[in-house]
Amino acid sequence: MRKILKLLKREYLAAVKTKGFIIMLVLMPVVMGGSGIAMYLLRGQVDTRDKTVAVLDRSGFLTETILKAAEERNKQAVTDKGTGKKVQPAYVFEIMAPETTDPQGQKLGLSNRVRDGSLHAFLEIGPDVLHPKPGEDDPTFLISYYAKNAAVDPIRNWLNNVINNELRKKRLVESGIDESRTGEILFWIQVNPLGLVSVDQATGEIQEARRTSEAEAVLVPIILFFLMFMMVMMGAMPLLQSTFEEKLQRIAEVLLGAMTPFEFMAGKVLGGLCVALTGASVYVAGAAYLMNRLGLARFIPFDVIPWFFVFLFLEIIMIGSLLAALGSACNDPKDAQNLTFPAMFPVFIPMFLLMPILQEPTSAFATWLSLFPPFTPMIMLLRKASPSGIPAWQPWAGLAGVLIFTLFSVWLGGRIFRVGILMQGGPPKLSRIIRWAFRG
Amino acid sequence: MNVVEIENITKTFGRVTAVNDLSLNVPRGSIYGFIGPNGSGKTTTLRMIMNIIYPDSGRIRIFGEEMRGSSADRIGYLPEERGLYKKMKVRDLLRFFGELKSGRNVDRQVDSWLKRLDLGDWAGKKVETLSKGMGQKVQFISTVVAEPELIILDEPFTGLDPVNVEAIKNAVLDLRANGATVIFSTHDMNVAEKMCDFIFMIFKGKKVLDGTLVSIQDKYGSDTLRVRSQGGISALQDLRGVDKITDFGGLQELRITPEANPQKIIAEVMTRTMVYSFELAKPTLYDIFLRIAGPDAKEESYA
Repeated sequence: MRKILKLLKREYLAAVKTKGFIIMLVLMPVVMGGSGIAMYLLRGQVDTRDKTVAVLDRSGFLTETILKAAEERNKQAVTDKGTGKKVQPAYVFEIMAPETTDPQGQKLGLSNRVRDGSLHAFLEIGPDVLHPKPGEDDPTFLISYYAKNAAVDPIRNWLNNVINNELRKKRLVESGIDESRTGEILFWIQVNPLGLVSVDQATGEIQEARRTSEAEAVLVPIILFFLMFMMVMMGAMPLLQSTFEEKLQRIAEVLLGAMTPFEFMAGKVLGGLCVALTGASVYVAGAAYLMNRLGLARFIPFDVIPWFFVFLFLEIIMIGSLLAALGSACNDPKDAQNLTFPAMFPVFIPMFLLMPILQEPTSAFATWLSLFPPFTPMIMLLRKASPSGIPAWQPWAGLAGVLIFTLFSVWLGGRIFRVGILMQGGPPKLSRIIRWAFRG
Repeated sequence: MNVVEIENITKTFGRVTAVNDLSLNVPRGSIYGFIGPNGSGKTTTLRMIMNIIYPDSGRIRIFGEEMRGSSADRIGYLPEERGLYKKMKVRDLLRFFGELKSGRNVDRQVDSWLKRLDLGDWAGKKVETLSKGMGQKVQFISTVVAEPELIILDEPFTGLDPVNVEAIKNAVLDLRANGATVIFSTHDMNVAEKMCDFIFMIFKGKKVLDGTLVSIQDKYGSDTLRVRSQGGISALQDLRGVDKITDFGGLQELRITPEANPQKIIAEVMTRTMVYSFELAKPTLYDIFLRIAGPDAKEESYA
């Protein structure tokens, strides 16, 4: 045990006391949460140059509505009330008379103006938009928005609302409804997402259900899931390479003169575990502190965090032993590279299944998958963290399975390691590795 | 008392028998030299003594006991291929290896060894900055820093310049003087002859020599005649009673048959050319090595 701890300390310090570790600690969430964080940080960075859109209104009555709505919007949203800084582009509409003799030529001309930048987009409103014939594909009641990036252009969405509201209102009035009632008739009521009503343990009072947000439903499980993935990459993944390198550089033989192969492997795996636990603690503590400061403390999943650490602990030992064993079987950098991908299956497969499990965490598929030991740590954690929750026995059953499987993989890894670490020459064929494991 | 007792060990790798029914005793306080050509089983034997690999059959006892985990702590092992953590600083590395073995603080030993082998200035440098020879010395220190009772050195002198060979040699002798038992393998017959109390030769997995240098040489008798003459090699052809001539240029070595009379041979040479000097000697270890393992070696069974 003393030797294991000694090696653990060396491995841990060798990993943590590098600039690489610190950089990784900072960079990992950036890479993983990549686009999300970038979008969050860049959300203020909109192009505030005014957007000019030409309008060809063949219906003849929508121009007024659009201009009025644009004026109101520009007044409200373009400048920040507090700072007076421009935060959004103003929408400027250029009303044009639709050409009747050469409509295509007009549209080409406008397209060219969009191309050369003097126009942002142009809108074409069909003549019969007030009386469409649902189910028919008639260009007379179509509304088309032409732009370089029309599908994701926010102006298109804005126009959607403005134009349809007006059209509905007009249709209601036409059918004899008093204009003052149209607001009420068209009022849209959102269905609220709520959690479940519960009893406060301390006071015994029934607590109102909490409004669940997307953040809670999706972000918390995803963040914990990715955190575990990152920690496996940080703590377990390097074991394959480093074991292989120590074998290659003959450090292995020097160490085997001082300790048993099992102690050697255990020291390395536990060193990796400590690295992962360090990283995870930094992130969890950092996130909890930040959420507290931002008044988001109620989103901290205190009931899931202990499970996170328990599963992380076992996951690293389980995968780490096998990775170290595979590293010991390699004799060539290429072998080590080739083995890396299959060795990471227990974390990659849950990754591919992330979305279906997140949507239906209590489905039979998700349940059985989460009880399959190699996948349990990641998938059970994901399900446990989801707001719908899972039966209380399942994490425990999963834990028992992982515990047994971890012991098995440590045993198996130890057997392979013992032979592999001194074996020179020959690629690590599966048949050879299995023979080492079961026959020595 | 014997520190290492090996009884009839055999080790095969696939179809190759690396070590074949080998027995050997290493007395406490001795320096035991392992010699033999490349691939003859030296390293395999040393690894089995270290319990890094296990014999298929036979027994090895270290300090009178079958090897258990703890006896490894009393052995220092320098493998043939050196392995050091490149990113570690020299002092940290030596401390790590020393404490791993001994379980106690070894700062004092580390400093004294660094000073002794002229590495004091490098203590705070990373291992990757060392030259090959310096790395070798660091590896040697890592082997002995925990003050082991048995020291096993696999080719400790390869790659060292004469100054460093001398330094390591003296260190080994000092360790022995302080009570350690030393086993080392070498290709340098000169070193083996001068340093070792006992010499063991392994060839094709089998023991072919084992004993003191004198006892080994005695087995071959005084069968070597060294001659310096004006005529050189050409004057020595076709002498009766001479098995083999080895030409060193200015000196020729004649191996004479057991029944031949060296006096007669010398007399015969003197009739052919002017002899500057001659000497009747026992064969050197180098010569014995070649007789057993050289290209002209006869297939014979060695007792």
